[in-house]
Amino acid sequence: MEQTRFFRAPGAFLKKKWRYLTLQQKLTALFLMTAVVILAVNLYMFTLINKMTGRVEEVYVSNVNLNELSGALDLVQKSMEEYLNTKSSDAMEDYYRSEQAYRELMEGLNSETTDNEMLLTEKNIRGLSESYLDLAAEAIQAKRGRNVEKYGQLYEDAELLYDEIHTFIYSLNNAQFKDNSRNYQALLDSLRYMEFISIGVLLLVLLGNISLIVVSTRSVTRPLHQLAEAADEISGGNFEIDRLPVQSMDEVGIVTNTFNEMVENIRNYIEQLRATMERENQLKERELMMQSHLKDAQLKYLQAQINPHFLFNTLNAGAQLAMMEEADRTGRFLENVAEFFRYNVRKNDEDAALREEIHLVDNYVYILNVRFAGEILFTKEVDESLLNVRVPSMILQPLVENAFNYGIRNISWTGRIELSVYQKGEEICISIWDNGAGMEQERIEQVLSGRVQEAEAGAGGNGVGMKNVMERLRLYFRDQAGLRIFSEGKNTGTEVLITIPAGQEEQSCIE
Amino acid sequence: MDQRKRMVFVFCLAGLLGCLVFLWQRFYELSRGEEREFEIYDRHYVMITGREDSDLWDRVYESAQEEGKKRGVYVERFGEELAVEYSRNELLRLAMQASVDGIIVPGDEEEETIALLQEVVEQGIPVVNVLQDSTGSIRQCFVGNNSYNLGQEYGRQILELLAEEEDDNPREEEPADVLVLVDETRMDTSQNLILLGIRETLEDAEKEIGKVSVETSLVDNSRSFSSEESIRDIFLNSERLPDILVCLSAVHTRCAYQAAVDYNKVGTVQILGYYDSDAILDAVAKKILYCTIAPDTEQMGRLCVQALDEYVETGYTNNYMAVDTRLIRAREAERLVGE
Repeated sequence: MEQTRFFRAPGAFLKKKWRYLTLQQKLTALFLMTAVVILAVNLYMFTLINKMTGRVEEVYVSNVNLNELSGALDLVQKSMEEYLNTKSSDAMEDYYRSEQAYRELMEGLNSETTDNEMLLTEKNIRGLSESYLDLAAEAIQAKRGRNVEKYGQLYEDAELLYDEIHTFIYSLNNAQFKDNSRNYQALLDSLRYMEFISIGVLLLVLLGNISLIVVSTRSVTRPLHQLAEAADEISGGNFEIDRLPVQSMDEVGIVTNTFNEMVENIRNYIEQLRATMERENQLKERELMMQSHLKDAQLKYLQAQINPHFLFNTLNAGAQLAMMEEADRTGRFLENVAEFFRYNVRKNDEDAALREEIHLVDNYVYILNVRFAGEILFTKEVDESLLNVRVPSMILQPLVENAFNYGIRNISWTGRIELSVYQKGEEICISIWDNGAGMEQERIEQVLSGRVQEAEAGAGGNGVGMKNVMERLRLYFRDQAGLRIFSEGKNTGTEVLITIPAGQEEQSCIE
Repeated sequence: MDQRKRMVFVFCLAGLLGCLVFLWQRFYELSRGEEREFEIYDRHYVMITGREDSDLWDRVYESAQEEGKKRGVYVERFGEELAVEYSRNELLRLAMQASVDGIIVPGDEEEETIALLQEVVEQGIPVVNVLQDSTGSIRQCFVGNNSYNLGQEYGRQILELLAEEEDDNPREEEPADVLVLVDETRMDTSQNLILLGIRETLEDAEKEIGKVSVETSLVDNSRSFSSEESIRDIFLNSERLPDILVCLSAVHTRCAYQAAVDYNKVGTVQILGYYDSDAILDAVAKKILYCTIAPDTEQMGRLCVQALDEYVETGYTNNYMAVDTRLIRAREAERLVGE
């Protein structure tokens, strides 16, 4: 079956076979093939050169043959002479032997009529030799019959013919020698050409082998190159490469196959990883949303507990009651408290006009003065044109609260708090100054860098500390606002100075 | 770059292949040597010719060989390539002993030749005499000119020549001298027949042109180059110098006109030549020779082979086959030289 397939398409069959060879087998086959080609060419050349050398050796064979013929003729003549002289049986025997030898040699001569002069001369020599041998035989016969006159005449005729045959042989020998010399020279020349041809053929075979090796090794190394390029791509992070074609089933083919599978697996793995991460993210998001909703619920719960409307209404009812009982101071106190709380709830996460902030500070200071029997001397110096400037809500009240709690609460002299709002160049300055306990420089740095513990900071406050104010200013004014604290030391008072860029009023108006 | 490398590689390969093909061709031609192809023929005839008039014999041989090839016969120029120069009769005997199928040979009337021819014919080898006949032999055929007619043609040319001279320069009572160069070694009757033809033609016209003396001069042909010397002797001896010189062979014709030129006798001696080699035609065209009579060599060679074949195939043939001759005067010679 395989054989029939081979005969049908030997090229395709070999190609298929080649695909399934291992690298070692392929390289061995390649080496063997080139070696066999070179060997075959060399063998052919050797055979050709041997043949040529043989022909060179044979060039003068025809001359040798003619010389042999001439020698044999001499022997016939000599033995005939000997017999005619002596009539000895030895001579007779010699004669028959030499005649036989001569006849055998004559058989090698041409007997056909041709247009080749030398072959024709051979034919003539053959004819003359026949006549000569006839004459010699007749002479011997006549000698036996003791016919002196006849054998004498026949001997003379034979001798004449003997000389003439020699002339023919000699002439033919000369002609053949000339011809052979020409052939010899031509053969020598052809041998020289043979050398060049051998070199040329070997060069050709070399070139052929080189191209064969280049083509074959390329078929082996091309998949390797492709593999290397693909590996390079993969190492660069690009997994979106085409599947590498598998051209052979050798080691490279196996590696390519494995590589393809590896790339496929990695791609699948990454896909799975991505899906898992997405799933996890979704879970986390859900968890966060749950927490956020929980917080929201908790807040709402708390807000429900401290219902501002209920509080305001209650405080307002208190205020009205105080008015009715003509307790005006109590009534004003309760109004202030109600406003304070209302602002606190309403403005928790919004910005506010500077006017509102100052009003809140007024409410707060009033409450404090009621609480602490007018211990605080609060003064304001506000540029009226800046009252509409927008600032984050709840930034002044905590600072005033700080000034009261840490500045003037525990001092022996009369505490003063001063609020100034003024424009200085391109900046609006909001200053809260107190004449209280003052601060060490180290403490100032701690406060400004936010290193003060929240619990400590918020111990006596309403939960909105210095850090909170600084953060909100930074976020609101995108790092263009500043908060600085000035104090010359213990019992020298403290000034907290907020600087914001001018033009916030217009901006807020546009907004 | 890759493309360029490939191109260089292909060019190198093509160049190498070209060189190899050329070398292989040269090698093949040389290694084959001179293996001459040859053909086999049914019969083997030999032609034995004299050493003289080689040009004439070459032409006859060529024609014979050509005719032979058409008939499956190879005609060999026997003895030509031998190291020793054998006489015609020796070659005749050798051809007989070599058992050839037929012999073409110029004959003569020598007894030895006649005997030899007899022996050859008795051995069953047919013989054709060419150009010169051995009338006394039993050869199968003679192929050649009709010598008597040839003599008559020479006679007529002499008469025309004398008539022309008479018109130009009237002759006194003194008879015109005609000298015929006769080959001393030629022992056939053809020369005698030619002489007879000349003489009879001139005698017939004696009344019109007066007496013409016809003499012969034997040219020594026995040794090499001796004929040339003999002819020069005639020119050197002014007393012997004739008015008209008749040459009966190509060699004599060439020697005679060369001597006439060398001794400034052109015009003084009118030469009638034989044969139509290029040199002779040139001499006729230049009017060094008055005219020349040429045998049809092609016909001669052809008829020889035909006669032999006829005899071998049928057992008989014509005893005599005449070969045409052609008279060539100055005008025709000019045309032939031009061709």
